[in-house]
Amino acid sequence: MSDESVPLALPLLRLAAGSSEVTTLYRELRKPLLRYLVCLGLSSDEAQDVVQDAFLSLQRHLASDGKQENIRGWLFRVAHNQARNRQTSYHRRFSEPLDGDMDFLADNATPEQRVLEKEKFRCLAAAIRLLTESERECLLLRAGGLRYREIGEVLGMAVSTVGDTVERAIKKLAEKCNV
Amino acid sequence: MCDFQAKLVAWLDHELSSDEAANVDRHIKECRECRDRLATYKQVSENFDVYCDAVVAEKTSHSVSRWVPVLASTVVAAVVIFLALPQRRIEPPPVLAPTLALTSVPVPAPRTAEAAPRKTIGRRHAVPPAEEQVVKWQPTETAVQIAIPAEAMFPPGAMPEGMNFIAELSIAPDGSVQQVRLRQ
Repeated sequence: MSDESVPLALPLLRLAAGSSEVTTLYRELRKPLLRYLVCLGLSSDEAQDVVQDAFLSLQRHLASDGKQENIRGWLFRVAHNQARNRQTSYHRRFSEPLDGDMDFLADNATPEQRVLEKEKFRCLAAAIRLLTESERECLLLRAGGLRYREIGEVLGMAVSTVGDTVERAIKKLAEKCNV
Repeated sequence: MCDFQAKLVAWLDHELSSDEAANVDRHIKECRECRDRLATYKQVSENFDVYCDAVVAEKTSHSVSRWVPVLASTVVAAVVIFLALPQRRIEPPPVLAPTLALTSVPVPAPRTAEAAPRKTIGRRHAVPPAEEQVVKWQPTETAVQIAIPAEAMFPPGAMPEGMNFIAELSIAPDGSVQQVRLRQ
């Protein structure tokens, strides 16, 4: 699914048809938001719903002359809170072992490479399960491209605390995975 | 343990101030241990990113596969309905059914002896077809003659003994008596 074809199918962009800013943000942040929400434990459909709700909230926020600084952090915070409200889904950890066919690997990957990759991910999933919730969330937001300041805004933490948490989480994973 | 190790992740994420970043840059060139740690953190970060992509890819594929049977059954149902609709349209409405039946159904030919041969099953002898006997009324002068004793018509002693009368009845085609004549 191309990025160009998605917005036309979404009702939220019909609402925001006059707002090129929202459209641009949608194209830029939709995928990172979906990735973050799915990794938090939401299903793909739930994540789609949350992303749409988040952009609808953004549209209302901008229409009411709301604060326009750090829109990316604002969007992630709205999506994060909505994901938390879906408690049942949220508690499905994304560190559950992958049981798929590793279709994301290159088509020319050999069976040995697939086995090694699967083993690497199994080890990484086990290490992720040992992280605290805040460590896991910090890493996910960092993987989404957010700066420490933005992560702090999403999670309600000080920037220094975010730095310490990210560093601690990376060291834990490195230690457990023997990288 | 090197004091710079606590800043390596922040340096990797470009979260240090320019002065701190410059200090780390200089230190990394001199400290092999920090370079190795930095390579490790970078590798872990990349693995974590790939793992996130793998999780998203797997959950998305599961989501798609769950919808495949639903979509397939919907398409099949739509095709069945589409094929069934034209047949319903050509069905005559109930009110017009008798008219259409009269005009469309051929009237069977009248049965004749040749067209519908009789069955002879269970019959030892063939029954000859009944012949139609056309009876034409042949008017007669005297249809019936009835002999009536004179004692039945006259009181005793009024007529000589041994005298008889013959009544001749003329009967019309409809069965009624047209004429009665007595003769001796």
